Amino acid sequence: MTKIKDNISIYLSMLSCSIKSMMEYRVDFIVGIISQLLTQAVELIFIWIIFQNTQSLAGWTFDKLLLLYGITMLTIAIVDFLFDSIYDIGPKYIKDGDFDKLLLRPIHPLISVIGDTKTFTAFGYMAISLILIISMLIKLQIDITFMLVAKIIIFAFSGALIIGAIMIALSVTSFYTYKSNEIIWSVFRIYTFAQYPVEIYNKFIRILITFIFPFVFATYYPTLNYLGMENGWLMYLSPIVAIIFLIIAVKIWNWGLNKYRSTGN
Amino acid sequence: MLGTLLKIGKMGIKEYLQYKSVLFLFTLNRIIEVVVYIFVWYAIYNQTGQIEGFAINEIATYYILVVTLVPMSLWGINEDIAYSIRKGYITRELLNPISYFTYYFGKELGEMGFGLLTAICTFIVCNIFWTVLMPVNIWAFIAFICILLLNIPISYFLQMIVGTCGFYTNATWGMQILRKSIISIFSGLIAPLTMFPVAFQKVANILPFKEFFYTPINIYLGKIQGVEILFIIGKQLIWVLIMYVLAKVFFNKAVKKITINGG
Repeated sequence: MTKIKDNISIYLSMLSCSIKSMMEYRVDFIVGIISQLLTQAVELIFIWIIFQNTQSLAGWTFDKLLLLYGITMLTIAIVDFLFDSIYDIGPKYIKDGDFDKLLLRPIHPLISVIGDTKTFTAFGYMAISLILIISMLIKLQIDITFMLVAKIIIFAFSGALIIGAIMIALSVTSFYTYKSNEIIWSVFRIYTFAQYPVEIYNKFIRILITFIFPFVFATYYPTLNYLGMENGWLMYLSPIVAIIFLIIAVKIWNWGLNKYRSTGN
Repeated sequence: MLGTLLKIGKMGIKEYLQYKSVLFLFTLNRIIEVVVYIFVWYAIYNQTGQIEGFAINEIATYYILVVTLVPMSLWGINEDIAYSIRKGYITRELLNPISYFTYYFGKELGEMGFGLLTAICTFIVCNIFWTVLMPVNIWAFIAFICILLLNIPISYFLQMIVGTCGFYTNATWGMQILRKSIISIFSGLIAPLTMFPVAFQKVANILPFKEFFYTPINIYLGKIQGVEILFIIGKQLIWVLIMYVLAKVFFNKAVKKITINGG
């Protein structure tokens, strides 16, 4: 237990280091945020087009769907902020031989990797999602209580952990192929499925996003809860799913680590 | 000249296919992207019974063709030019016996070749899951291909313009996202342009991006026919010229300022 505690405290100090180094590159920072806003605009235009063609999508109105979108973006922002360097394990650390250096450190190499995250795009997501969430809560006449704010923050983090766990588990492939980003990216993109009501999908996709890659627990069920809709209670399973998936992911990762052979640089 | 171009292009494809899994994963990415679009439109269709101007098969085919064409319309040399500037490779590449523009056009052809492979795989896999309409007739298919071929130089010169910004800033990846977003919005990638407000459509009609997705797909579906296609090809030829001049002038101006960090 103390070992886990040590790892976490080292992780936190690494994180504050990366935030400081991010702020150093101001132009990159601003460009990153602007480009993020544009990417969001593209997706929001699609949602807008949907509601030019219909009043509601599987019972969801425009405002509700935007709230779901906002909640998803908030979770993705946290994922981006905490786990972005998972993408680098193959192409950056292993291919260049830097990974061997991490193995010599007295902390778990996974902590070294995720502690090195440097992504400013997260702030763009964060800004957009907060604007969307607050304006839609007001528009839908949902009281913004302390409870609700606490729930949104806690479950955004637990959702981010679920997605992070999936990314960690998939990054084992980099121990074999020395490049991991594409497979993680492919699965990560499945989160977009959970941006829309699950009723529109067929059985296969529902099973995929509920049990195999449980993105619905990360963003969809919490939103149901905030809207006071049916099945909203499933949100409370989210932290449990997060913990289970994290444990499995770290197990898989450790197992992959044992098979790791250096590229010999 | 053409031989050299093709050789450079071939090298590019080979680089990609070194890892066979890449093709599989890129195709998977395309499929994941199309799933949301198709299910959303099916849901709307089941609810309202109509989508303006499109039968449900047509709208599904529209989006499958969109994700199929993305590798050829949005991908490309992208960061390569900025990378060559940043790392200082450009000094060597400028001394090549072929011009910098020709050399990178060869590379672009390589990217397009790999894009085409991904596109074909995507199209075939989509056929397994959904019913995809075939082109209305052989002439429509030929016109479809012609428009796509003319897109290659337009897309290439645009990437050259964005890449040249690498002389002035290190944050070109943001410019790339800007390029992709603008193309996505004005090309019909998100949705058929007829669903957008009229004022917006007027802007899209002037810009060359409509020909990346909206126009070729509508030709494929038989919604654009006859003389109109000739006008579109004329418009594309004009845009090739405009983009060429812009890219050349900007590059020649920027290259004079060349200072490379420790190159």
